[in-house]
Amino acid sequence: MKRRSFLKGTLATGAAVVAVNAGLLTPATVLADWNKAAFDAKKVDDAIKAVFGTATTAESGDLVLKAPEIAENGAVTPVTVDASKMSGVEAIAILADKNPTPLVCVYNFSGPALGYVSTRIKMGETMNVIAIAKAGGKLYKAEQQVKVTIGGCGG
Amino acid sequence: MSIKIRVRGKVRGGIAEIKALMKHPMESGRRINKKTGKPYPPKFIQNVEVAVNGTKAVDAQWSGAVSTNPYMAVKVKANKGDEVVINVVDNTGEKGSAKFKLK
Repeated sequence: MKRRSFLKGTLATGAAVVAVNAGLLTPATVLADWNKAAFDAKKVDDAIKAVFGTATTAESGDLVLKAPEIAENGAVTPVTVDASKMSGVEAIAILADKNPTPLVCVYNFSGPALGYVSTRIKMGETMNVIAIAKAGGKLYKAEQQVKVTIGGCGG
Repeated sequence: MSIKIRVRGKVRGGIAEIKALMKHPMESGRRINKKTGKPYPPKFIQNVEVAVNGTKAVDAQWSGAVSTNPYMAVKVKANKGDEVVINVVDNTGEKGSAKFKLK
């Protein structure tokens, strides 16, 4: 694991240096805001904490998580998180609890955006998909199990 | 090389659903190359930004667990003719950009 993150780090910096030298990009755009601690977290709660600062969540009927009950191919599991009925949604995060690093993606909303995301994610085995929405400074959680018949990771 | 993005968006009742399809391997760095026994190096989109008429609306961070050739849909308040710009960048610094007008 250490070796892997070391490789990742050197690769990323290598590319950044090349880009900067070529005068194409400024360092700020290359090393854009990416929450490494959160994406490297191995536990769901740790990942949520790294993104939002707390892992305390509440339930809300206005946070709707749509995912298939059975995903034939875990490599492309369609997931939709609809929190557009909530007011002031600031962010939505999607996690897959048994993936090696559970955090899949984080969406931050501003200006004209509504709290709605639809995407496709990879899942290695049968597990729960978790959606976290932040609205009005509070976290809300929705969870659903997805049965995976073919894994999407490894191989 | 730049990342190819296909975008579509339609306005209905003051709300536009913007759908984007990107061409990208989304290699998480965990898949093992069976011939060498070593993992394929990670290459996945890390940042996605959607702006409407120059105003930032969505700012997303992704991991390698987003599917290959990622699909994304978001909703924004918008009107016909508004200009939507999508910018993406992956962990190797490769970028992609798409611009279109809402119908």
